[in-house]
This record gives sequence, C-alpha cells and structure tokens, in this order.
Amino acid sequence: MAAELITAVIVDDHVAIAAGVRYWCEQADPPISLVDVGDRLSGVWTGPGADADVVIFDLELVPGKPDFGELRRLVDSGRRVVVYSQHADNVTAIKCIDLGALAYLTKREGPNHLVPAIRAAAEGREYTAPSLSGALAADDTPDRPRLSPRETEVLRAWFASSSKELVAAKLHITVKTVDTHIARVRVKYANVGRAARTKSELVTRALDDGVITLAELNQASL
Amino acid sequence: MSDDETQAQLRRGLRIATLLVAVLTVDVLGLINLLRHLESHVVPAAQFVAIVALTVVLGTEAVLMIRRKPWQFLRWPALALVFGASALSYLTLPDGKTSTSVDWMFGATGWVVLVVLLDRPLRTVATFLVAHEALALVNLLLFHDVSRGTLARFATGSVTVFGLPLCVAVVAAVLGRIGREAVKATRELEGIRTAEAVAEAAHQRRTQRFAELAGTTVPLLEGLADGSLVPSDPAVRRGCAIEAARMRRLFAETDTVENPLLHELRHCADIADRKGVEVELDARGQWPVPPVVVRRDLTDAALTALATADSWARITVVGSADLVSVSVVADCAEPVEPASATPHVRVEIFGGDGTVWMEAQWQPS
Repeated sequence: MAAELITAVIVDDHVAIAAGVRYWCEQADPPISLVDVGDRLSGVWTGPGADADVVIFDLELVPGKPDFGELRRLVDSGRRVVVYSQHADNVTAIKCIDLGALAYLTKREGPNHLVPAIRAAAEGREYTAPSLSGALAADDTPDRPRLSPRETEVLRAWFASSSKELVAAKLHITVKTVDTHIARVRVKYANVGRAARTKSELVTRALDDGVITLAELNQASL
Repeated sequence: MSDDETQAQLRRGLRIATLLVAVLTVDVLGLINLLRHLESHVVPAAQFVAIVALTVVLGTEAVLMIRRKPWQFLRWPALALVFGASALSYLTLPDGKTSTSVDWMFGATGWVVLVVLLDRPLRTVATFLVAHEALALVNLLLFHDVSRGTLARFATGSVTVFGLPLCVAVVAAVLGRIGREAVKATRELEGIRTAEAVAEAAHQRRTQRFAELAGTTVPLLEGLADGSLVPSDPAVRRGCAIEAARMRRLFAETDTVENPLLHELRHCADIADRKGVEVELDARGQWPVPPVVVRRDLTDAALTALATADSWARITVVGSADLVSVSVVADCAEPVEPASATPHVRVEIFGGDGTVWMEAQWQPS
C-alpha cells in the first residue's frame, strides 16, 4: 500500500497505555507514527500533535469526570477522534459517537480493534468495535434511530463473537455485508442528534457509496 | 384479622348498650320525672330545652352509630351542648330540689357525656364526669341552701351519677387493651408461622438442589470412587469441570444480588479462569430478572462451553425488555453437545475450526 504514513496523537495519563499503543502502532503494517503528549491536552492543539491525523483521546484524564467538553471542541475543530476509555457503559459510548467521535473503544479492546480504528478514522470513516456494537444493540433511549432487525442482529453477533468472519458464517452473509450493516447503523446514528462535521461526512459518504438511501435514512430517524 | 373483627364487634356492642342506657335515662326516666314534677319547676320551658338538647346529642350518636362513624369534629360542640343544657337545667331548678327526682338532669348528664366520649381514653371521660360533678356542686353551694340534708343527697346521688358511667368507661378501656394485646399476640403468632414456612421452604430448596446434583455429580463421584472413571481421561476431567461449574452456579443462585444472571455467569467464568482459560465477560443493556429455571438454561450453554474451552472464551450478554441473549465464543477442540433446554430458551450452536459459538436466547413474555 502506497498510502502515506498515518500520524496519531495520544492523550492519556497512563504511561503504560501510551507505551502499549506506541508498540502496537510500530508493529502495525504499515506502521502508524504516534505522538505521545501524556496528559497535556494542549499537546493536541500545538506542536507536532496539532498536525496529527487522528487523536486518540482518553475520556477520563480526571478520574470520574469524562471530558465530553474537550471531545466536542476537538470534533468541532474538525479533528478525527478515537475515544479510548476505561468506561464501559452504554450511555458514555453512545454520547461519544453522538458528539462526533469516529470510534469508541474500551481499554479492554487491544490492537485488533485500535489499529483498524486509527486507520479508519484517518480516512474519516467510522469504526465500530464490539463494545460499541453491544452498546448500540442494547440502546433503548427514546431518541435512538430505528434499526432493522437484521442490523440489530448483526450488532449483537459482532459484540458476542468479536470476529466478523464468525458473524458472517453464522448469519450466512459475507464479511462485506456485515460491514455494510454496521456502517448503516453508524450512518443512522450520525444522522440523528447533534450536528458535527465528522458525522455529516459519514452520512454524505454513505449516501454517495449507496450504503443507505436518503429515504431509508429519513425513515430511520423518524 | 378475625381478632380485630371480634374487638370491633365488642366495641360496637358496648356502644349500643351505652346509648340505650343513656336514652332510657334521659328520654324515659328523665322525661317521666320532668312531667311528674312539672308544677315544681319555675321555668318549665328551660327544662324542656335542656331535654331536647340532650336528645339531639343522643340522636346524633344513633345516626353516627348506624353509619359506623366516630364523633370526630362534632365531639366538642356536642359536649358544649350537654354542659350548656346541664347549666341551664341546674340554674332554673327550684330552691332546695337539687339531687332529688325533680333534678332529672343530675342523673342524665353523665350518661350522655359517656356516649360522646366512649372511644376516648379513660382520663378524658373521668375529667368530664368530674367537671359535671363540679358544676352540680357549685350550683348547690352558690344558689341553694346548703344543709346536711342537701349535701348528703348530693353525695349519695353522686355514687350512681358519677360511679356507673365511670364503670362503663373502665370496661371500655379494658376491652380496648385486651383487644390490642390480642392483636399483638396474633401478629407474633403469624411471624412465627412465617418463619417456620420460610425454614421449611429453605430445607425443601436444599433437598431439591441436592437432588439436582444427584443426577449428574453423584454418578461422576461414584465412578471416581470405584475406579471405573479415571482422572487421566480428558472426558472425565471435562465432566468434572462442568460439574464444578454447576455447583458453583447452584451456590450462586441463592445470593441476593442485583443482577443474578451476570452473577451466576461470573461464577461459571471463574471456573474456566482457574483452569487457565482467558475469559472475557461483557454485558450490555438492561433486562428483567429471569426466573431460576430460565437462568439455568441461559447459563448452561455457557457453562458447557467454558468447561471445554482450551485457552480463551468470550461471554457476552445483550439484554433488553424483550430479549436476553447470552453468547459464549470459545476455542473448544471438541464439538460441544447441545445442552437440553426448556421451551423458554432457544439455544443455537455454531462452530467449526476449533471455535464454538453458543447462543442462548430468552424472550421475556
């Protein structure tokens, strides 16, 4: 692949996490260049961190206080954010993607999900890790978009198995179709709630690629 | 419950009896005395007003009693009326006729006071009876000739005027206390009966649990004991792991926890964890608490897969109000036989290439 080198900046107060992510990025093929700014949020806005393609954001730099405000500022200024959190509750996960984060991963999810999430985010695409998939499958908030039974089934299966090959084999569909279902869910979610550039880009791209039609999208957000 | 009813019946009986006595005293005896000595009275109209006032109070009590209602806010106006009527009758009494049969009011007031205050504490009744005595005495001392004769009449009259209503009030109070004690004793008895029933049920549960283990665990233990099963056999070891997990689950079933399904799954996972299997457990959503039989079916698939997993397993629960799904994905070298499930729970097994995926689904109705 002749794609240019992806750079990412990580904000995380745990040095072990940053070191682990650095190792995963170096081992990735092609490798990802990582800027570690520790727990200084300013490092994301100035210096080498300001030019990074992707921000890997620890939601809880202050324990017990998820920093949704900073996430919103990052998204509003057009940054592509992967939230990497020790939080595992549905509300937090869904709030992050509603604010415009392209991916939400719990810290139990390792390089198998973080590296693809960084690559997807660098291209402005979403990545749905199993934990987020479970959160979306179990979402019962009143303003959630309407998902088809098949989409919910795929979300549940992806959460359960964390292997798209297994999901595809179990549901007798292709891995590509699994991806399409998940992508459609994310587009439906991007189309409701708060407006954000990353979200509108997802919707536009999905419409352009024919992943979902405008009619389906409108129906889902009713 | 029936004791409460008995007590209520006794109280009602006493209420009716008191009212009857009061009506007899006021409207029969009182009226006869009043009519017989009508010419002795200076202002007969005042005496008639007084007897009508007392009759109104008794009439009100009769209505309240039929409707099974207490006096409540009417109580104090009624007492004021009674005392007003007494004062009127005493003040218009001819000279020297206190505590005689002309003084019909002297014997009547106490009973009417008792009618109004029957459901109040004894001290309230006593206070008002004493107040009436005081009223009659003050009238005697201030407006009539005080002689040994009048005082003696007053004293002997008071024995019945004050004493009889007080006796009835004492009976009412004692009746109330006995009733309360009976209710308390009944409650205690019920508490003991409940505790006995609980202990009985617990014992039954234990017996049943043992019976459930007897079908699968006991043969395994017997086989190991008599040497027909050898621990080196992988199938025996697997069987032991499954039984160990079942027992753990059984113990966990009685724990009082917020989410019993997750609690029991954690116990199942712990068994695999001890074998060195890397277990991930993740749950999403909220669901109603499934009954024990359903939880057993839901966890049984997980338990079997976990017991046979080689190195890793992922347990997930996704729940909502209308579907609870428990999945286990694990690297089981051997195919897992489908667990027997009740009709409530649907179990799907999917596998190949060393990975087994078992999903148990329950739809709360």
